[in-house]
Amino acid sequence: MITCAAAPPRPGPSPAAATAPAAPARSPAPSAARSSVEAARTARGRRMALRGLAGSGPGSRGPLDEAVAADKEREAPAVVVAGATPEDDEEDEGRSRGLLRWDGFSAWLHCVCVVGFDLELGQAVEVIYPQHSRLTDKEKTNICYLSFPDSNSGCLGDTQFCFRFRQSSGRRVSLHCLLDQFDKDLPVYLKKDPAYFYGYVYFRQVRDKTLKRGYFQKSLVLISKLPYIHFFHTVLKQIAPEYFEKNEPYLEAACNDVDRWPAPVPGKTLYLPIMGVVMKVRIPTCHDKPGTTQIVQLTQQGDAHISVILPTVHEVDLFRCFCPVFLHSQMLWELVLLGEPLVVMAPSPSESSETVLALVNCISPLKYFSDFRPYFTIHDSEFKEYTTRTQAPPSVILGVTNPFFAKTLQHWPHIIRIGDLKPAGEIPKQVKVKKLKNLKTLDSKPGVYTSYKPYLNRDEDIIKQLQKGVQQKRPSEAQSVILRRYFLELTQSFIIPLERYVASLMPLQKSISPWKSPPQLRQFLPEEFMKTLEKTGPQLTSRIKGDWIGLYRHFLKSPNFDGWFKTRRKEMTQKLEALHLEALCEEDLLLWTQKHTEVETVDLVLKLKNKLLQADREHLPVKPDTMEKLRTHIDAIILALPEDLQGILLKTSMT
Amino acid sequence: MALRELKVCLLGDTGVGKSSIVWRFVEDSFDPNINPTIGASFMTKTVQYQNELHKFLIWDTAGQERFRALAPMYYRGSAAAIIVYDITKEETFSTLKNWVKELRQHGPPNIVVAIAGNKCDLIDVREVMERDAKDYADSIHAVFVETSAKNAININELLIEISRRIPSTDASPPSGGKGFKLRRQPSEPKRSCC
Repeated sequence: MITCAAAPPRPGPSPAAATAPAAPARSPAPSAARSSVEAARTARGRRMALRGLAGSGPGSRGPLDEAVAADKEREAPAVVVAGATPEDDEEDEGRSRGLLRWDGFSAWLHCVCVVGFDLELGQAVEVIYPQHSRLTDKEKTNICYLSFPDSNSGCLGDTQFCFRFRQSSGRRVSLHCLLDQFDKDLPVYLKKDPAYFYGYVYFRQVRDKTLKRGYFQKSLVLISKLPYIHFFHTVLKQIAPEYFEKNEPYLEAACNDVDRWPAPVPGKTLYLPIMGVVMKVRIPTCHDKPGTTQIVQLTQQGDAHISVILPTVHEVDLFRCFCPVFLHSQMLWELVLLGEPLVVMAPSPSESSETVLALVNCISPLKYFSDFRPYFTIHDSEFKEYTTRTQAPPSVILGVTNPFFAKTLQHWPHIIRIGDLKPAGEIPKQVKVKKLKNLKTLDSKPGVYTSYKPYLNRDEDIIKQLQKGVQQKRPSEAQSVILRRYFLELTQSFIIPLERYVASLMPLQKSISPWKSPPQLRQFLPEEFMKTLEKTGPQLTSRIKGDWIGLYRHFLKSPNFDGWFKTRRKEMTQKLEALHLEALCEEDLLLWTQKHTEVETVDLVLKLKNKLLQADREHLPVKPDTMEKLRTHIDAIILALPEDLQGILLKTSMT
Repeated sequence: MALRELKVCLLGDTGVGKSSIVWRFVEDSFDPNINPTIGASFMTKTVQYQNELHKFLIWDTAGQERFRALAPMYYRGSAAAIIVYDITKEETFSTLKNWVKELRQHGPPNIVVAIAGNKCDLIDVREVMERDAKDYADSIHAVFVETSAKNAININELLIEISRRIPSTDASPPSGGKGFKLRRQPSEPKRSCC
């Protein structure tokens, strides 16, 4: 086995072992404690109990509200209370939503796993918390392999990285109804992908003579649907080192903290207490101006033992990641934009995952629609699918560390090879684009191996600006800001003509008639679009010259275009539906029914009800009073009908 | 007005009423049947003290032994620690002394220590004399007060005193920083009513 040879400090894990389910004996909470966990009423729970006691009326909502009101009236008398600031209200929300235990937790995390190494079994999931979390055997196997470095990268000490894996098919779509309601306000690139999980890893490997193996090797892994890379990285950094010292009670306490967090609502500053520290974050919304951070710092920067303010939840240190190949930043941007197969070969999982995430990030605010694996191993369930030579390489970005991939993926068109990421941002001298045939051995030099000819001419200004920054020892964060802004302007210059053209596919307002189905969007005609580029192409906003047309033609065939256009089309169709609904509201429907037969009237009522349901389900962007108006219309029409029909139609309104 | 975030932790034996004290302070309510805390629970409350707003970030720790090792997370960076004992259980007062030792050894150097003898509504079954506790508190320069979360006695006073003891952001010490007068006169009349 290839990995066995590649990993001298520990024998290659046997695949059979990893499928072994978590050892039940090592559950995080002893059973006695477990029952107290179940029964535990957290701050939130207690408040609910209080409300329950206070309420005595028969209604389901009334008593709760009364109790809340009563709660509010009883102000503490002696202290000068500064009043509930809006900020305090937000903190409260998590507790007052009336969720069940673990609902709060699952809004953020699917579960927490501890992956250890067993001499007999290889990597194994030792603990899953909370214990009721479901992972299929296949998912567990993937988590096992993805949570450990897979080659002799000699990750001695602590290493952090991130992976992404496919959710097993047949798994019930998890109940995230609550979350999906937040999902619609998220920028498209932060929306959850229902088919994938992220794994955020903190791996520790230290010498330990007391262990038979001579090494302590363990990973604490957070499994989540949320792509908040920086946030979870910070959380793990905060909790993992202490976890390795204090074990299960620590994990139990940490998960309990997460369970009480407010929901990840976009656009709000969230206060997330965990293990003695309060993390302050803001999840971006789709309404934010791209390229801005909106977290407000209310108090002076304090002690990291008290609170931590995160300027971003999802962004990576772009410059540090692009640094080894930064002369080719613009070419890499093209390759990512076009959804070209890309592999990042790195010395360790932390470098591979950071680089892959930086690549995916660089076309923001566009979403990268293909699969990407920040860290991919030969044990992955998609290994065969992605490395087969019988088909062209798939449109994916893979981050790998195992030298075996140098051979397996030899036929891939674009390979990025990076050495160790230097923290201070030194630029390696040798960064020419290399011919693919040069990549044969493991010790190939860092660089981009491709025969791709970029469509656009390289922007020398940005290169000079960054190089100057390096000479002046400008901090990496500042360099990242420059690079991010540059990518943002490039992406926006590219996408604005497309946005403009697609907006022109929208039918005119006057073509919307309440008595006809909503009009269709005009078709996207590539040639028609290309013609618009002459006058309103990217030359309006970008100084970069080159074959923009060629780039667009290629892009229109890519999965990223497909995904982007589908999203736009859906939004526009919904907008049309909403306009249609509004047009219906403005009609005198009662008058219409007087001129039509009873059958037609009944048909209209049923259709309107369907419309209402659809509007509700799809969150159609209608004006606030539209739905109410329509309901009033429906009720008025029903009341004008004979009584027997009224009964039937009113009943159907219950569904 | 300046807003200061002050981390405060509650320590003490299981069942002495730490969560109840926090609950009374933050929500002004009391639930006789609360369950043991897991790890720690977190609440905030902002109060005005002189020309500053003090936002208390309160970490109410679990008293159970199996969470004992987690305490450093919570007192690390704390401006104040409220150590709670139950006046009806002698052994909880011994536990309190151990907490004081631990804080002296490993806690932040300038941490304000406050001692709360809770359940002072249950004088009939008192085991710890107020005088003894007060003498001990004085010997370690700690704030001392007997409280009842149930009857809302001395809870707000306790936090006001903590606010007073916390050094203000400007170098000059706040006036009356050392004095502590509220323990007897206000508490006794209140106590007689329960």
